Amino acid sequence: VRGPQFRRLKIGAGHRLDVKASGVFVLGIGHGNKLLTDLHNCHLTKVYTVGGLFGKATDDFSDTGKLVEKTTFDHVTREKLERILAVIQGTNHKALLMHSDIDMKTQEAYELAVRGLIRPMGRSPPIITAIQCLQLALPEFQLEIHCLHETQQYLRKVVHEIGLELKSSAVCTQVRRIRDGIFTLDDALLRTQWNLQNIQNAILDCQLKVKTELERTLD
Amino acid sequence: AALRGARRLPPALHRGLAKPAGPQSVRQLKEAEEAAPVFQYVGKAAKRKDRVFVWGFSYSGALGIPSFVKPDAGWKKPRHIQPTPYRLETEEKISSAACGYGFTLLASSTTDITKVWGMGLNKDSQLGFQRSRKDRSKGYEYVLEPSPIPLPLEKPQQTRVLQVSCGRAHSLVLTDREGVFTMGNNSYGQCGRNIVEDEIYSESYVIHQLKEFDSRVVQVVCGQDHSLFRTKKGTVYACGWGADGQTGLGHYNITSVPTKLQGDIAGVNIIQVSSYGDCCLAVSEEGDVFGWGNSEYLQLACVTETTQVNVPRHLPFKIGKIKEAACGGTGNMVLTEEGNVFVWGYGILGKGPNLIETAVPEMIPPSLFGRSDFNPDVRVAHVRCGLSHFAALTNRGELFVWGKNLRGCLGTGRMEDHYFPWRVTVPGEVVDVACGVDHMVSMVKSFT
Repeated sequence: VRGPQFRRLKIGAGHRLDVKASGVFVLGIGHGNKLLTDLHNCHLTKVYTVGGLFGKATDDFSDTGKLVEKTTFDHVTREKLERILAVIQGTNHKALLMHSDIDMKTQEAYELAVRGLIRPMGRSPPIITAIQCLQLALPEFQLEIHCLHETQQYLRKVVHEIGLELKSSAVCTQVRRIRDGIFTLDDALLRTQWNLQNIQNAILDCQLKVKTELERTLD
Repeated sequence: AALRGARRLPPALHRGLAKPAGPQSVRQLKEAEEAAPVFQYVGKAAKRKDRVFVWGFSYSGALGIPSFVKPDAGWKKPRHIQPTPYRLETEEKISSAACGYGFTLLASSTTDITKVWGMGLNKDSQLGFQRSRKDRSKGYEYVLEPSPIPLPLEKPQQTRVLQVSCGRAHSLVLTDREGVFTMGNNSYGQCGRNIVEDEIYSESYVIHQLKEFDSRVVQVVCGQDHSLFRTKKGTVYACGWGADGQTGLGHYNITSVPTKLQGDIAGVNIIQVSSYGDCCLAVSEEGDVFGWGNSEYLQLACVTETTQVNVPRHLPFKIGKIKEAACGGTGNMVLTEEGNVFVWGYGILGKGPNLIETAVPEMIPPSLFGRSDFNPDVRVAHVRCGLSHFAALTNRGELFVWGKNLRGCLGTGRMEDHYFPWRVTVPGEVVDVACGVDHMVSMVKSFT
């Protein structure tokens, strides 16, 4: 019998990725869709590389939007930026503890907090677990953001708010997801590699990783 | 040609304002963007502003905001507790603050005439004499706003106030060249002057000046009813109530004149003294810690079984060189050179609800203060104690509090106790914090 090997495939998507953003996008095929829901319930962090530009403010926080205001930015230094990022990290860490639904008065809450394992296991607003400045070359800068339950527009809004906090303004030029839970850029397939053989190899490589992660979290 | 161009109005009727709407081309957008004006909100040499934030129990006026106690509009209710940090507007930059039992002192190191402001309870004249505006012969019992405290300085335009400290009903002001000024309740000699029987302390003008020490006083600390003075040579003087041995002079009586302490700290160069309740700790230059006073809550149980220690004793802890110590009502805390925090005593110590009391110092894991693989160089820089709560400042300017949340004194926004260090969200970098019984004051620098 001859014909194409697969005629119909059920494909499900993992965490959403914007039109203007890029990076790792997890898809599940066939029986893998059930694994997708399990991975979503693990609530693992995603890592983004966010590029920004000081001096402009637009209505949709990205550089392709309608200009709202232009400001000076020569007073911005790396020290000030790092201070703001430390505060953002601090308040988000507090939100992480508060939304995690664990009673803070118990001994096990203390133990988990010491090990850093407290995280919200249900619905919660977007939380940033870690944020760091990779480079600052005025007017451009690049941040690495580890977050939970976020949308790319929220990350653009964070860039805008950093600009406001520094008494200037900023827009987001690039959002790139470099890690989604356990899948990193190395596992991702480029557009030129979208053929059956590569997809099958990728699935085989990731099977073990997914199994160990699911067992670890859903114990 | 006349028909085709009939849409155009003759030049006299042309207002020249309306442009045809519609999607603008990329070139037009770029030109509009370049022509847009650039706003400057802050210049290159902008300085960071100094601010003061207060929180906790406000009905005594200790927070210094009158609208909390007497609201401006009739329909508003007075605010008894301020659970989150609230900005207090001050005229000068505040360099030192201290919280007592229901009152607060703020001091600035300026050479202007007004150097110290006080607010809160004034029933024992711990804020000096605050003349009432309605009746010029009477004084205020509660001061709702930061009011200047008139100090009897010889050279007011040259002396600077270095530090202030508050106890239960008395306060001390340290100046750089005119000694220490004390005011308030003196029924146990805590103000360093002779006890007058049946003295009425409210609406009193008495501010005593203490100058006779072996060298210049560099730190003043108030316990509940006693006072400690540390001089430049490293000696410690004490006066006041001594029934728990907190004066450290070898007896359990009242002392009304500052007397030098002996015991294990004789000859040792002490670099920091701390006290808030009835127990006292002193840190020496080599990093050893000495304690005396109340030990009912196992604060000094590692050296003695007795519940009161009236002579300074060396506490043999093997936790490293100690940089700073802080005494609370029932628990004590020290900070080592590496930036680790150790707690012991009784109460909510910060290691979960299971640790209620310990005589041996226990370390609080640094991951609770924000240290992680992402930020490996976060260290605790300062430690402070209130009566039943603790505060720690990191080198990043974050404030962590834990302990009993008495009337909202922790400032986290929740009224429950916190059994491990919890961040306080303050809009700025916290430089210093003063803890009281049920309120706290912090000195903060803005971000940019």
